[in-house]
Amino acid sequence: MMKTRKIILHESQIMKIHYITAIAALFVVAVHILMRLIMPYSMSLQYENVVVNYHNIPYALLLESILVLIAIHGFNGLRVILLEFRQNEIWENGITIFTIAAMIAIIAYGTRTIIMANQLGL
Amino acid sequence: MERSKESDYDRNNREGLKGWLNPSRYGWERISYWLQRLTGVFLLIYFIGHVYETSSLTRGPDAWSAMLELTQTPWGHLFLILVIGTSTFHSANGIRLIFTHAGKGLGKPGRPDYPYDAMSLNYRQKSGIWVALILAAVAMLYGSSVLLGGE
Repeated sequence: MMKTRKIILHESQIMKIHYITAIAALFVVAVHILMRLIMPYSMSLQYENVVVNYHNIPYALLLESILVLIAIHGFNGLRVILLEFRQNEIWENGITIFTIAAMIAIIAYGTRTIIMANQLGL
Repeated sequence: MERSKESDYDRNNREGLKGWLNPSRYGWERISYWLQRLTGVFLLIYFIGHVYETSSLTRGPDAWSAMLELTQTPWGHLFLILVIGTSTFHSANGIRLIFTHAGKGLGKPGRPDYPYDAMSLNYRQKSGIWVALILAAVAMLYGSSVLLGGE
């Protein structure tokens, strides 16, 4: 009997997620860059100004959305590239597990920074 | 020894990374495919570095200043200008690819006539690639003026 693989999401659905995260990231990253340009660039990077950004809840949420969107888009892009190199079940499963783990790790690390910076005193 | 047809099917992208990094035998579509992946990997590395870089904020003003000293240098600025260029190209070319994946801008299929130019690589696709490259250059120029302008 032929073994069938369990599919949670079809590639076409994953590509839709890839494109939606790309378009959404374009908008939120644009706002993130504009925040660097509302005052002279070097001033916007001063410790106090950056901490004030993180104290602003809507902006902190925007940073979190950038983190999640870029992590999903970036690591799925990496998965697609790596799957083009070789196609077999062990490689494909390994790459999927690696990219999901890396995605979760970077989101967790970035979220930790956002939460801690949000609670920093000046 | 003659290679069987079956073993040809098993080749399975045998050139691997070498084939991926060698766009010399291909046209504009292949170069854009290569640049899209190269810029994507570069931006993912930058993203991971940026998340690590900003985490220094939680270790206080001294750690933040030390990290800034490392990045706010002429080489750091040149690296950021490269990030601006690659992200602009990746975004603009990515939008073209989304349309292409949806079948927009591909034109109608036609009879394959000599010299067998790919029907899909029409002026819309070619101009899309050029627009992405020009936008990247303009964004890099603007980024240079902000980063190196001394503001």
